[in-house]
Formats: sequence, C-alpha cells, structure tokens
Amino acid sequence: MTDGGSGQGAGAAGTYGQGVRFLRRRARVVGRLAAWSVLETGQTFVMGFALARALDEGFLAGRSGAGLGWLGLAAVAVAVGAYGTRRVYGAVAALVEPLRDALVRRVVTRALDDADSAAVSRLTHQVEIARDTFAGLVMVARSFVFTAAGALVGLFSLAPVLLLVVVPPLVLGLALFAATLRPMARRQETFLAADEAIAEELGAVADGLRDITAAGAEDRVAGEAELRVEAEFRAARTLARWGVLRVLAVALAGRFPIVLLIVTAPWLLDRGVTPGALVGALSYLTTSLLPALQNLMHGLGASGSRLVVVVRRLTAGAAAKARPRTRDVPAATLRSGDSRPRPAVELRAVTFAYGEHARPVVRDLDLTVPEGGHLAVVGPSGVGKSTLAGLVAGLLEPRSGEVRVGGAPVQHGGDPARRVLIPQEAYVFTGTLRANLAYLRADVVPDAELAAAADAIGLSGLADRLGGPEAIVDPAGLSAGERQLIALTRAYLSRAPVAVLDEATCHLDPAAEARAEHAFSRRPGGTLIVIAHRLSSARRASRVLIMDGPQTLSGRHEELLLRSPLYQSLTGTWQPARSAGAPS
Amino acid sequence: MPTPTDADRTTNRAADRLLLEAVRHSVGRTAAICLVTTAAAGAALALPLVLGRALDAVLAGGHGPQAARWTAAAAALIGLSVLLDAIGELLTGTANARGTAWARTRLLRHVLRTGSRAADRFGTGDLVARLVGNAAYAGTAPANVAATLAAVIPPVGGLVALALLDLWAAAAFLLGMPLLAALLRVFVRDTTDSIAQYQRGQGEIAGRLMEAIGGAATIAAARTAGRERARVLEPLPELGRQGHRMWRVQGKSSARAVMVVPLLQIAVLAVAGLRLAAGELSVGELLAVSRYAVLASGIGVIVGRLNALVHARTAARRLAEVLAEPAMEYGPHRLPSGPGTLELSGVRARRGGRDVLRGVDLVVPGGTSMALVGRSGTGKSVLAAVAGRLADADAGTVTLDGAPLAALDHGSLRDAIGYAFERPAPLGRTIGGTIGFGPREAGPRRVREAARAACADGFVRLLPDGYDTRLTEAPLSGGETQRLGLARAFAHDGRLLVLDDATSSLDTVTELRVAEALVNDIGPRTRLIVAHRATTAARADRVAWLEDGRVRAVGRHEELWRLAGYRAVFEGAPPHAERAGEGEGVDEGARASGERVGRD
Repeated sequence: MTDGGSGQGAGAAGTYGQGVRFLRRRARVVGRLAAWSVLETGQTFVMGFALARALDEGFLAGRSGAGLGWLGLAAVAVAVGAYGTRRVYGAVAALVEPLRDALVRRVVTRALDDADSAAVSRLTHQVEIARDTFAGLVMVARSFVFTAAGALVGLFSLAPVLLLVVVPPLVLGLALFAATLRPMARRQETFLAADEAIAEELGAVADGLRDITAAGAEDRVAGEAELRVEAEFRAARTLARWGVLRVLAVALAGRFPIVLLIVTAPWLLDRGVTPGALVGALSYLTTSLLPALQNLMHGLGASGSRLVVVVRRLTAGAAAKARPRTRDVPAATLRSGDSRPRPAVELRAVTFAYGEHARPVVRDLDLTVPEGGHLAVVGPSGVGKSTLAGLVAGLLEPRSGEVRVGGAPVQHGGDPARRVLIPQEAYVFTGTLRANLAYLRADVVPDAELAAAADAIGLSGLADRLGGPEAIVDPAGLSAGERQLIALTRAYLSRAPVAVLDEATCHLDPAAEARAEHAFSRRPGGTLIVIAHRLSSARRASRVLIMDGPQTLSGRHEELLLRSPLYQSLTGTWQPARSAGAPS
Repeated sequence: MPTPTDADRTTNRAADRLLLEAVRHSVGRTAAICLVTTAAAGAALALPLVLGRALDAVLAGGHGPQAARWTAAAAALIGLSVLLDAIGELLTGTANARGTAWARTRLLRHVLRTGSRAADRFGTGDLVARLVGNAAYAGTAPANVAATLAAVIPPVGGLVALALLDLWAAAAFLLGMPLLAALLRVFVRDTTDSIAQYQRGQGEIAGRLMEAIGGAATIAAARTAGRERARVLEPLPELGRQGHRMWRVQGKSSARAVMVVPLLQIAVLAVAGLRLAAGELSVGELLAVSRYAVLASGIGVIVGRLNALVHARTAARRLAEVLAEPAMEYGPHRLPSGPGTLELSGVRARRGGRDVLRGVDLVVPGGTSMALVGRSGTGKSVLAAVAGRLADADAGTVTLDGAPLAALDHGSLRDAIGYAFERPAPLGRTIGGTIGFGPREAGPRRVREAARAACADGFVRLLPDGYDTRLTEAPLSGGETQRLGLARAFAHDGRLLVLDDATSSLDTVTELRVAEALVNDIGPRTRLIVAHRATTAARADRVAWLEDGRVRAVGRHEELWRLAGYRAVFEGAPPHAERAGEGEGVDEGARASGERVGRD
C-alpha cells in the first residue's frame, strides 16, 4: 500500500495537471465565479471602510446620523454580498457538476471494461466524496483570495501605509503555509492509504471469522491487523505534528499583523492615520482575514489531498490500459452468397495460458466443427472448457496456433456477426422484453419471428406471464433459469451462424435444457457448440470433446465410452441411476 | 425479561462506560487538552478587551507607559493564544489517533474471540463499519469531551463581556439574535427533497451499471460495451439537473445564513456608536463590543460540539453492542492422547429462536468417518460447528477422547480439530498463504502436498504466479475455492476433521479423488462429513441421519438406503435449486450433482 512512493508523486502531479486543464477549459465559468465572488466579498471591504468612516465622520465627530448612515451602507453591502453568495453557488455548480459527470463517465467506462462490481461503490461513494471536496476546495480557496483582496483594498483606501504593516507578515505566513502543502499532502495520502488498508484488512477478517476460529489463528490475525492499526496511528500522529506548523503559519499571516498594528499604532497616528481607520484596520484583520485564513488552511490541507487521492483512484487504469480496446460493431446482419461447405469452426495447434509463467490450459489443440455440426465439450471443472469457448468467440487470444470461425481467422474481440456466445450468467437488463430479445439484431424483429423464437426455446409461457414483448422486464424479479431462457432466445434470434453455449442452460431443468439445445441444433445452417453442464448434453451432440489436459479426445459418444477412461467415469457417475445405494 | 427501553439503557450505560474507559486510557492527554483549550479560549476572550484598552491608551497618550503596558499585554496574549493553539492541535491530533487505535484494537480482539457469532449477529458489512467508522468516531470522544468546556467559553463569555461593557449593546444583540435566527429556519425541507432526488438519480445509474457488470461476458462477446455505456449513462443529464438544483437550494439557504452574523454585528455597532457619541463608551471599547458580538453569535459552535459528543456516544453504543456479544472462553486443560473419538451427548442448540438441535447423542470412533445426512434445515451445519467447538451448544457435552471440548485450552483444541467449509474464506495473502493459513503458516512443501491431496495443485499451477499468486488476482470458481479450503484443512495435523459440505461444488470425479486422498494421504483422522450426495454418504464408514434436530438413525449407507425416508433425503430439492440465483462461484460440479448420482 505504501510502496511505490515515487509513482504516487508522479501520479499526483498528473492529477494536478489534469485539474489545471479542467479549469482552463472552463475559463468562462471561472470568470463568472470570480465576478460573483467580487460581489460577495465586497461587503468585506465595505464593512471595515464604513466602520472607519462611521467613527471618524460620524460618532467621533458628533454626527451620529452620518455614523448610522455609514453603518446602514454596510448593512446594504451585507445584503448585496448575500446575493453574491447565492450566485456563487450557481457558478460552483457549473464547475463541480461537469467534474462529477466526467468522473461518472470514467468510472462507468472502466467498470464495463473490467467487469468490476466494486465500481458501483466507487460510483456512489467516492465520486460523491470527490464532488463534495472539490466544491469545498473551490469555495474555500476562492473565499480566501477575494476576502484577502477585499481586506487589502480596504486597508489601502483607509491609509496606504497600513499595508506596510500588514502585508509582510501575511506574505511570510502564506509562504510558510505553501511550503508545508506538499509534505502535508504526502502525509495525508499516507494516512488515507493506511485507512483504506485497515478497511480492507478488517473486511477480510470479518468475512473470515469462522475460518479464523477454526484455524485457531485469532492471535496471528489480530497481530497482523494491529500492524495496520499501528501504521495508521503513526500516520495520524505525524499529521498532527505537521498541523502545528499550520497553526504557526496562520499565526504569522493572520495574528502577527494585529500585534504589529497595535505596536506601531502611535507611529501610524503620527502619519495621519485616523482612530477610525485603526479600528477599521483591526476589524479587517480580526473579522475577515483571520477566519478566511483559518478556513483556507484547514480546508486546503486535508481536502486537497483527499481530492487528489480519490480522483486518482477513480481515473487510475483508464490511461494505463494499453491493450487494444475492442470497438462496438453493428449488430449482426445476414450474410449471403458464399455457400461452399467448409468447417464452421476450426482450431489448429492452439495453445493458451493465463499468464507468462502459467502452465497452458489448452495445449496444441486441434478441433474441427463442420457447418451444421453439434459439438458437446465435457470434462472436470477447471479443465479449460470455458477457455475453449472464449478462444472460439475471440475473447481470448491463443499464445500460438490459429482459430478460424466461418473460414476466417478470428481477430481480437471476435466478430458478433459470425458467432454468438451465451455465457453462464445470463444478461437481462431493465427494459422491454423486446429490447432484451432483439439485443443482437440491428433490424426490427417482426412479432411473428419473436414469437416463433420464444416458442422454440420455451420462453412463451414466461413471455405471456410478463405481458408480451412491450412489457418491462425487471431482472431482479426473474429466477436464474428465466434469465437464461431470455438470453437463449436472444441468441437464437441472432443471425450469427455459430452458437456457443457456455453452460448457458445450467439453471434450467433437464427437459427445458433439452428443448433449448434441440432448438439451436435445428437452427437452419446453425452450428452449435455446447459446453456441457450435464452429460445428457453430450448424448444429444453429434460429436463430443472430452477435455482432460494431455488426454483430450474427441469423437462420438460411443467411441469415447471405449477410448476415454475419464469419459467412462463421468458417464458412470453422471448417469441417472435408480440403484444409487445398492451394495456394490 | 427486560423491556426494549431497559435494553437501551443497558447499552447506553455500556457505551458511557466505554467512553469513560477511552478517556481513562489517555487520561493525561485528555486533562492536558482540557487545560490547554480552556486556557486558549480564555485568552481569546480576554483579547478584545485588552486590545481595546491598548487602542484607547495609544489614542489617549501615544507613547506613555500606560500604552506600552497594554500593548505588551495584547502582544503577550496573542503569543500565548498561538502557543496554546499549537499545543492543542498537537494534543488533539495525537489523542484522536490514540483513541481510534485503542477502540479498534479492543473491538477487533473481542470480535476475533467471539468468532462467527459476531458476523452472524451483525452481518459482516455492518461489523466492518463498526470496526472502521464507528471506532474512529468513538476514538475522538476523549478529545471532544475535553474541549467541550473550551467551546462554551467564547459565546457565553462573549455575551457576558458584552453586557459588562455596555448593557445597551448587549440588549441590541439579544433582541436581534432571535429575529435573525428566524431567517435561518425556512429552507431545511427544501434541501432534503433535492438531496433525495439526487440520490435517486445516482441509484438509477448504479443499478444500470450493476446489471451491465453482471452481463459482462455477454457484452464482451456481443461487443456492445459502447451501447451499454450509453444506456448506463442515460440518466446522467437528469442527475446533473438535480445536482444543479441542489446547489441552487444550498446557495439560497447559505445566502440567508451568511447575513446573520454581520447584520447582528452592525446592529450592535450602531448602538455602540451612539453610546460612543454620548461619551459612554471609548473607541477601544467599541472595538471590543463589536468583537464580543461576533464571539457571542458563535452559539452554534456549542451545538456543533454537543452534536459531536452525541455522535461519539452513538458510535460508542454501536461498539458496546458488539462488545456485549459473549466471547468464547477456553479451559485450562490439554488434550489427553487418544485416537480421536468424538462423542456428543444430549446436545441442544437454538438458532434464531428455533431449536435446531434437540438432544443429539452420537459417537464417532477414532479414525473412522461419519457422514451427516438430512434435509436442509435439520441442523447438520450447526452440529458440525458444535462438534469442533466453532460454536457452543446450549446444552449437552461434546468430548474428544474423553475430554470435554469446553475445558480444553485454545492451542490443544484448535490443533486437534480441522475444518473445511462449503465456502472457505480467502484468508492469507496468496494462494499458498491461504492453504497454509493457521496460527503458524505451514511450509511450502506441506502446502504443495496438501494441495495435491485436495486436487488443487493442478489449477494452482495454471495461475500466473502459481502458489505465489495473490488471492486478489486469482478469480476462483466455487469448486476451486473449496479445494483450497480442503487443502488448508489437510495442511495441518489433527485428530478430527470436519468437512461441512466441503465438496459440494466439486464434480464427482474430483470429489472421488479427494475422498481417496482423505483415506490414503492424510493419515488416520476421525472424519465428520456433512453430505448432500448419496455417493459421499456411501463412502463413509457410518452415516448419521438427522431429522428435526435429532438423530433418526445411524448405520451404514446401504442399510439405511432400504428406508424410503432416508432415500427421500437425497431425492428432495436438488442442490442447484437451492443455489439458483447465486450464479457465480458455483461451478459445474455443483449443478452436475443435481442429477441423481450413483453407480450402475
């Protein structure tokens, strides 16, 4: 979690750069924000100035009416400033909402690329943290800049010499603060990382309590978790120490000028500074500048780093992804001509492994499925059946060898016009049944075709129950088997000649499974590959591939019964048997 | 029987005790924080008056000793404030860090000693929230309590100082305050509505995303990621509109809120100005009055403080609830030598207000295997848990080689009994680490042997880094995870092995291989096996048939098979019907078992 510090630094710089570009693209919004901020902080200027005048020309000069008049002006400025505040929120929204939109887009894009369900928490939780902290940052930073400007202009207009007293310590204090920003941001990041590590570790512990007790590993687990707790404690303590510097920076910038002002007061009075101006100046320092400084230093210290960390996490990986992205292709359209008989699917000496150091899952596999053929793939779990499906579909790239579908070599990502893959987890989205079923078609699917497909697969009953093609489907309200029926009908309606069913019927009962497989094998010109979930699928196929590492064989059911001991053992145990418990 | 309010009161008392304990844990720091922050608040309160006096002295005499004295006092006061603030910041920061670490460690230790009971009672997500978030909040309680006094001083002291300096100004403040506060009250309902709308929009996008992620394989194969992205993002413009609306509403409310303090200050200043003109107040006093008006209007700070205390107490309550869950106690005895004979007598257990086990008597002779068979809900898993003391029975005894489990010390008990589960938790950082997981991690050779016996070696070696592959980088199917769990049980010695549905996701061939390894490679251990498949039961030396929380019959599988009721157990709901809807993590073996199994 804490390794790779230099990489983090570079990442932070990148994030800051992105931030600057983000603001530059929105120069007009920034301008509007500045304009409303001027109106908002105008009261800062007026308050001190009017107070000085109210004293000098009013209450101290014996003209109370004038004094009240100046104060009335200040009250008006407060009301005007409040209007400014209101408009400032609008301008901040125009900065913050686009950021949120951009982050949501990135999170969604990445989540779809990686199929990462943790992204949903990022979407609802971290994006909101980014949105809130960014808004807070903009508010605080802008408020400081304009309040300080208002106060300085006020001081100047009361008596330019006041700036001589106030500005040097202010600048020094801000410089000290600026110097602490970067190291503090690093500490803050360390702290946040430690905090996340704790959450992760404790999550694993809570999930594994039963196993920890069973293994008798309570002390070991506690020890490991406490290392994390200790790490966060140290990070928090370091942060607290740096916090002292922040207090000193505020003191130098905001409180020291007050001391200076009172010490130099006699000298200032000699230079013609009026008593009212002195009171006004003190009011600028205590009521405007000091609170703005405190807000700035509290806000910038913690939330700045938090924003950088969160934004980086949200956007990480999006840029690093170098592998070629597959582009959307238009939904399958009917291919015509080209009626030479040839293998629908062909694998030549295909080898595939999940990593450079990993043992290949598939090694030197040769396989041919003729057009209109029906192949079942069987084997123990984990032997690589789904890998084979991925290779045929083009979702996985072989380390060596060639995969051809419909006579042409498969490129990365595969061609949805040539094959349709139905995975185990059926995808049904909230939308009309028609939209779900016609998902793989570019053209409009006639009702009759829809009904015929539903009938062939065995979806008709469910379709009627849902309320026909225009009914809205709620995937959460369907059983796993019902979702599979919808996915199967969708694939059936696709115009792709090769269908690969990767345990796509595992939640159906045997009869429903048989019906669906029959429908696919009777599809005109359709080639079918079934990754078998039950052995009955193999019985229905014209050929069977039994995957068992080096002993991988293919042949007809009867052949394999003779040639493959594994196949024998699978059929022996998978077969329905009435005498399960009979003494052997 | 305590009423709910009694229970509430008990928890509250426990929460307060916990907070008190936290304060006591860093009593020195807490006292120091109280002292420092109170002193800092006092200095801040004194400053306007001293500053005003200094100003008056300067205006009156310029360079006299009077002016020098007040000026020096003001400078010293400011210096002191800075010093106290710095110390306070440091102390508060470290006290919070300490308190958080203390609360977390304390809770974690307790949760670990409580075991799965804690997770069952609260749910893992909630438990983590308590360990992470609530512990952090409760950890800040000492510093919060210590700084409460300091928070009260400025507003109350400001008002008092205002009254002492000038009653009229104080009256103006007290009159203006409620008038302006009324301005603040209008908008609360407005904000909650816009927030609710916004969250609905968020939920809409999240829901669509969740669906699309569930269909990742289909989307990748159909190459429709772009279309899906557009579909998921469809509600985004509406979310943006709601977001803008939220800011507008907030802007409106802040616009009113920001007026309160300055207007109040101006009103007080106007009165003070008139008093100045009347010669009743000095310029310095007017300055002080205006400053005290600002301090006095900070009454909201107290509310914030109290809120923080209430939050800390709520957090402490949530910790206290977990701490109230009884931890598992261990006895002082070591296990006598023996073959591993397990004996249960009169075992009863209640779960969720229901009697799950109602007097179970069972003997598993050392070195033999016994299958536990019964319809779902008959208490097989509870029995498996009680047999190895993952949980305690509500009545009855469980002994291993004559020694009651409850009397054994922790080491003897856990070393003697190994478990494998239907869904083992991925503990340890790597694949090898999760197999070797235990009080002491098993060595690499032991890990490999165990993996081989559990038929896991094959697929582990297909992973990118073999045994060193990190768990987070190895997406495992249900069957693969089960094999790792079996390997973990195999990698550690012991007399009794409890397999709680630990082979349910294996295909029948793999299960057979594991069963053979269990007899040949693992050495003579007593085995208690929760079984759903007839083949599994048939391989066991004896079968205990559970029904309604009691042992209906014990015997060999083929003897029991003559009973229609026994056969019905295996013909009942097929496992995949129970599992429907869980989707991922279940591999084909589990569903394959949906067909009746057996040999011709």
